[in-house]
Amino acid sequence: MREFAERLIAQEMAQKSPEPAALVVCERLRAPLATLMGTVGFAALLSRALSLATTEIPGLRALHVDADGALQGWTERKARPLPDESFEGGVTLLAHLLGLLATFIGENLTLRLVQEVWPKLALDDVDFSEGSGK
Amino acid sequence: MKTQKSLEKRKPARVAIRKLPTGVRGLDDILGGGIPEYSFNVIAGMPGSGKTTLAHQIMFANATAKSPALYFTVLGEPAMKMLRYQQQFSFFDQAKVGKAIRFINLSDRVLEEDLDAVLAEIVSQVTASQPGIVVVDSFRTVMRKAMASAGEMAMQDFIQRLTQFLTSWQATTFLVGEFSEEESRGNPLFTVADGLFWLSQKIERNSVVRKLQILKVRGQDSVPGLHTVRISDSGLQAFSRTLGFGHRQDGPRRRHRLSMGIPELDEMMGGGVLEGDSLLIAGPSGTGKSALATQFIAAGLRKGEPGIMAIFEERPRGYTDRADSFGLNLKTPQDKGKLEIVYLRPLDLSVDEVMQEILDAVERVGAKRLVIDSLVSLEMALAPGFREDFRESLYRMIVALTGAGVTILSTVEVEDTFTQFSFSHYTISFLTDDIIRLRYVEIDGQLRKVMVVIKMRGGNHSKDIREYVITDKGVVVIRPRSTEYDGLTTGIPTRAGPRPPQKPEAPPEPKAKAKAKG
Repeated sequence: MREFAERLIAQEMAQKSPEPAALVVCERLRAPLATLMGTVGFAALLSRALSLATTEIPGLRALHVDADGALQGWTERKARPLPDESFEGGVTLLAHLLGLLATFIGENLTLRLVQEVWPKLALDDVDFSEGSGK
Repeated sequence: MKTQKSLEKRKPARVAIRKLPTGVRGLDDILGGGIPEYSFNVIAGMPGSGKTTLAHQIMFANATAKSPALYFTVLGEPAMKMLRYQQQFSFFDQAKVGKAIRFINLSDRVLEEDLDAVLAEIVSQVTASQPGIVVVDSFRTVMRKAMASAGEMAMQDFIQRLTQFLTSWQATTFLVGEFSEEESRGNPLFTVADGLFWLSQKIERNSVVRKLQILKVRGQDSVPGLHTVRISDSGLQAFSRTLGFGHRQDGPRRRHRLSMGIPELDEMMGGGVLEGDSLLIAGPSGTGKSALATQFIAAGLRKGEPGIMAIFEERPRGYTDRADSFGLNLKTPQDKGKLEIVYLRPLDLSVDEVMQEILDAVERVGAKRLVIDSLVSLEMALAPGFREDFRESLYRMIVALTGAGVTILSTVEVEDTFTQFSFSHYTISFLTDDIIRLRYVEIDGQLRKVMVVIKMRGGNHSKDIREYVITDKGVVVIRPRSTEYDGLTTGIPTRAGPRPPQKPEAPPEPKAKAKAKG
């Protein structure tokens, strides 16, 4: 799952967005997932992913999820980045989000959802076997 | 004027309404061919009755990338859980999710905005996707919100605008909701709907019986009444209460007599059982009903007539072993697809499911002969809630199969009371064309077995009461009619003539090998 998350983040880093890549990935996933499960559903899922990720990367405590599913606090953290935590935190958070999706709706549907957002991204060889957070 | 005349000359052309398949086995027949295209339907029922699964099944059966389906979820089962559980069903084609089928959550709109905003969102999504199928689940929530915030007239206006829009945009619509039967009266939604599917479930002792009623489907002849529904790994399956009649074919014009596999019995029956007859073998336990049924099937197989044995008590292995002991090989015809032994014994079956299994098997092997062994065990295998339908369903199956030329032999246990001579406890004798009664009689200090042909609807038959034994050749009729006794049918006959000198007791008749082993 971690490799899957890294791949999405790498894709967004290549776009050279001023925002942190993990934040962009979450934002891009927000619309289709909110369409599927509602804003409340997406916000609940992302906050669960954040909670799980925080146990591995304590620095993520500075982040929180708004009622509309927006991830807040990242840009503030960027102003005072912790060594290695920004990238690592993004990957871990995203890995948990994707892992939760795969747990609930299965790998195939998770891939289909992601593929809708990044249609050109090759995902045929994505390995889900590593667990959600690793 | 010319135009008027040419119009009059034209044949009246009715609009052709395409019928969409439901993807639910049995339901298209109940609906009268399928769901009318562009119709506006309500799927109603209590929780757990299968509403959402039915909606999914219809959607997956029809959605394509060109004519997609939109599934609007509203405060009911969360979409994540719905996807999680629905993908367990075999009809759930994951490849369709995303392009052919899209799930859209309307909960926020319903909670935070008014009906106009909800309708605007549906209009926007439908206009963008141009779907062939639209589902709103649960519409009950939308109605509740509308009633609470805007009142009944506003809700009626909303329903009217929704139905007009979706029909105009050529979508076949399904509104899913939990409604009680009381709510169906005077409900504007049910008035507007073209189709009304009502799902219910009732608990009978320890078993649950699911039913479906098509309360309304405009423009076509649906089957009225309550139909049994089962939810399995394949999703819903519906069993029409007229199951079997729809497939009825004309039986053979000239009916032959079929051998029972026992020459003396064939003679007693006037040459055998008439093709397409329903024959009942009634007798107490141990009188050889299953043996006779096995000989009947084996006689057919020897003539190249495929057969089905539907058994509900003894396991198939027991049947083939007994046949072996009679020198009848059932295994080879099974391997060649000429014989199927259908063994059904779960205790929560519906009689319609049993019928469907048997009808499927009959069709698979092209059966000419069918054994049901026994009617008592069949009834025991049914969930309590279905037992009251037993005779009605049995009647449908027998009429359907015999109408198609299949000859049916059913066995039924009856108790020998020594004062009565009943044919069965089930008052099912009227379902049968022919009846053979087996019973025990006490003669000369022995409990012997006799048989008599009670009824042959298709012709004359012997009136003789004949003694028989069960040997390693099966049921063997051993003696001509006995004139030495009166009251054989009571089981305790009286000697009518002088008692001849008694021979020393003969050794027991040779029994079937399999039984001898035990």
